[in-house]
Amino acid sequence: MISVGTALSAISQFIGERFPVDKLNFHSMVEKKEVPIHRMSWGYYTGGLTMFFFMIQVITGLFLLFYYQPTVSDANVSVEYINKYVAGGALIRNMHAWSSSFMILFAMVHLLTAFAMKSFVKPREITWIAGVLLLFITFTFGFTGYLLPWNQIAVNATKVGLQSVEYVGQYLPGQLAEVPKILRETFQGESSVGQSTLGRFYALHVVILPLALAGLLGLHLLSVQLHGMSQGVDQAAKKSEKFMSIFIFKDLSLWATVFLVLFVLAACIPFDSFLPFPLLAPFNALGSTPAGIKPEWYFYFVYYPLELLPFWVILIASMVCVSILIFAPWIFKGTSRRTLSFITILASIYLVVMTLFGEQIYEFFKH
Amino acid sequence: MVRNMNRRLYSLRRVTWRFAFLSSLPVLYGLSFNAALAYPEFQQFVEKNSHRTVNCAMCHISENGPVGNGEGQIGSFSADEMKLLNKARGALAPGQDVDSPILNKFGNEIIKAVGKKDFVALKSEPAKLAERLGDKSDLDEDGISDAREYLDGTDPLNKFHGDPAKLFWINLDRYKMHVFLAIVAVFSINYGLIHLIKGVTIVQSGKK
Repeated sequence: MISVGTALSAISQFIGERFPVDKLNFHSMVEKKEVPIHRMSWGYYTGGLTMFFFMIQVITGLFLLFYYQPTVSDANVSVEYINKYVAGGALIRNMHAWSSSFMILFAMVHLLTAFAMKSFVKPREITWIAGVLLLFITFTFGFTGYLLPWNQIAVNATKVGLQSVEYVGQYLPGQLAEVPKILRETFQGESSVGQSTLGRFYALHVVILPLALAGLLGLHLLSVQLHGMSQGVDQAAKKSEKFMSIFIFKDLSLWATVFLVLFVLAACIPFDSFLPFPLLAPFNALGSTPAGIKPEWYFYFVYYPLELLPFWVILIASMVCVSILIFAPWIFKGTSRRTLSFITILASIYLVVMTLFGEQIYEFFKH
Repeated sequence: MVRNMNRRLYSLRRVTWRFAFLSSLPVLYGLSFNAALAYPEFQQFVEKNSHRTVNCAMCHISENGPVGNGEGQIGSFSADEMKLLNKARGALAPGQDVDSPILNKFGNEIIKAVGKKDFVALKSEPAKLAERLGDKSDLDEDGISDAREYLDGTDPLNKFHGDPAKLFWINLDRYKMHVFLAIVAVFSINYGLIHLIKGVTIVQSGKK
C-alpha cells in the first residue's frame, strides 16, 4: 500500500515537472521560446485564433451589456432595440453571434490538431486537460448565450437541453439518480424555464463562465509558454522561428485577416437569417411550441444521434468520449502520430457529416 | 300599477335582449367568416417552395391566424376594429388602402396590391401571388422585395431576416465603403507586421 508520504512526494514531483520553477521567468518563457517549422505548423495558430475570438466575444459582449435587459418581459425587446436603434448595434450583435460560432469551431479544430500532433504527452498533460475543460466551457457559453434573446427557439431549445440533463438520472444508481434532477432544478430555478432561469443563465454567461475560462486559459497559456510548442511531427523539425517576435507578429497578422472576414460576415449576413422567422418571435408561454426547434449547429453532432438512437446509447458514448479526451495523455501515450492522425480524420469526418447532413440523415432513417 | 311594472319589465327585457344580440353581432359575424378567412394554401406553398417553416405571422398580426381572442384576433376586437375589418373585407379591387386589424403591414400590402377578390382567387395558384405583388415593394428595406421574401419564406417585415446569400451580396454592395476601409486597414496592418517580421529576422541573424 502506498503511504501518504510517497503519494505526496509523487504529486509534488508531478507538479514540479509540469511547472518547473527554474523556467518561470520571462527569458525562458518568451525570449528563448522557439516555434518549430514543419508541415503541421499551421496547427500552432489554431489556439491563438480561438483566443482571438474569445477576446472579440468579451469586447462585443461588454457593448451588448449596456443595453441588454435580462428579464423575460424586456430581454427580447432589448435585443430588438439593439438591432434597430443602437448605432452599430446590429453589427456588434452579429459579430458576437458569428464570433461565438467561430470560437467553438476553432476550439474544436485546435483540440483535434493538438490530438493529431500528440501534443498531450509528458510534460503537457495539464495543458491538454485544461484545453479539454476550456472546450466544455466554450460549449456551455454557447448553451447559456442561446437563451438570452428570449425568443421561441431560445426558450424551447433550453427546455429540451435541461430536460436531457434530468434524463441522465434514470441511468444512475441509488442516490446518484437524483443529482441530474437537482442540477436541472438549480439551473432552471423554477418549475419551468422562466425568469429565474434567465437570471441564472445570464449570470453564468457574463460572470461565472468568463471567470472560469479566464482562469483555465491562464493555466493553459502558462503551461504552453513553460514547455514551449510541442514537436508536432515524428521527426524533429530542422527549422524553427522565434516566438518573440516572429511568431507573435505572424499571429497578429492572421488575427487582422480573420477580423476582416468576421467584419464582412457580420456586416453582410445577419446571423438570425439562418433560422425560420417563427422561431425568432418573442417567446409566448401560452402559445404552442413551433416546429423546427433545435440547438445551435455545434451541438448537431450529439443532437441528431440523440434523436435517432436510445438515450442510454448516447449517454454511454458521450461518457466514453469525454473520458477518452480527459485521459488521452495516458491512453495514447504509446500511440504513433500516424494512428492519432487516422483517429482525428475519422472524428473530423463524423463531426462534419453530422453538422452538415445530420438533418438529412435523421429524415432518411425516420421516414 | 302591477300592469305598469310588468310592461316596464317587459320593455327592459326587450332592450337587454336587443343589446345582447347587437353586441354579439361582431363576434357572430367574425365567426361566420372564420372558416373562409383561413387560407392555409399560401402557407403550404411557401413552406414547400422555400423548405423553411413559416406561420400565419407572415401576413397576420397573430402567429395563430385571425381566429381566437388574442392580439390581432377577431375575438378580441372592439366595435371600431370590427368596422376596420369590414372595410378591409370590402376592398375587393386592387389599389385601395387597407388597414385590417387582423393583418400586419405585409398582409395589408397584399390586399392593397391584389385586391381581396383576386387574392381569394389565387388560393389555387399561390405561386402567382408573387407575380402579382411585383418587385417594387420592399417593406423592411432589406433590399429583397416582399414578393421574393414570400417565395423564400423569410420575414418581409424584418430587415435582419432574409435569404443569407442574397443578403450577403446586397449588404456587401450597401456597405462597400465600410468594407473597403476595413480592407485598407487590415492590409496596412499586415504590411507593417510583415516588415516588422523582416526587420526582426535581420536583427536576429545579425546577432547570431
